[in-house]
Amino acid sequence: MLPPTPSIESLRAGDPQALAALFEIHADRVYRLAFGLLRERQAAEDVVQETFLSAMTHLAQFEGRSSLGTWLYRVAYNASLTRLRARPSEPLPPDEPEPGEPPLPRALVEWDQTPEEMLLDAEGRRQLEAAITTLPETLRAAFILRDVEELSTQETAESLGISEGAVKVRLHRARLLLREHLAEYFGARAAQKEGEP
Amino acid sequence: MNCEELIHYLSDYIDNGLTEKLRVDAEEHLATCRNCHVVLDTTRQTIVLFRETHREGIPVDRRSALFGQLEKAMAARRSGRGMP
Repeated sequence: MLPPTPSIESLRAGDPQALAALFEIHADRVYRLAFGLLRERQAAEDVVQETFLSAMTHLAQFEGRSSLGTWLYRVAYNASLTRLRARPSEPLPPDEPEPGEPPLPRALVEWDQTPEEMLLDAEGRRQLEAAITTLPETLRAAFILRDVEELSTQETAESLGISEGAVKVRLHRARLLLREHLAEYFGARAAQKEGEP
Repeated sequence: MNCEELIHYLSDYIDNGLTEKLRVDAEEHLATCRNCHVVLDTTRQTIVLFRETHREGIPVDRRSALFGQLEKAMAARRSGRGMP
């Protein structure tokens, strides 16, 4: 069970138990967001470290307009983007314009397995990994926070520093792109099965 | 509602974010359009798949080490020996 959220006063006072509670509550989410963006364990751990250190150092600037959690995710998101931009092999566009309407779905076949069965399928899991890796980072972050972490649209908007409308646009596009990618594999397999004698 | 509009509203439909009128329109379309029904179904499956497979936290063997490093760095800052 997670400990109760520590008060901002106890954190500012340097209470070690408050820091431990903050870490216990939020470290995994910070890690998953960073790992989701960077796809590298060590880099994600470095972001966790940097995020908590930076947050504790700048506690005076925390105004309480958002929750401590979304404040931490925002620090982690920015730290992850900074690292991504520093990778010479995969430069991000400086400020990606909001994407327009996503293309209409093309793969229109039912999948042949339930999600539970798909999870046991090694090739299926590889396809999941490939799908999320090809998603632009800004869309990936919105998808991770909304659909994996199950934050609200408002919390996601605060974490990413964008409007709620922009979260919805990014999430919608992310879902359709991921679905299309997976449908090429799971749908094609289902179609193949139907054709078998 | 046509297919293009249904796809436009798909995420809001999944998140129960449509007005009553749009929700009813969407459901009427879904009841008769197999393709859009497949897209809805497989989009929901997509979300479940990622939710189930992307929940791994910090590896257990690294968690306490990371917290230890954080405590050390905080202590160093407090005593003025660390970086500003």
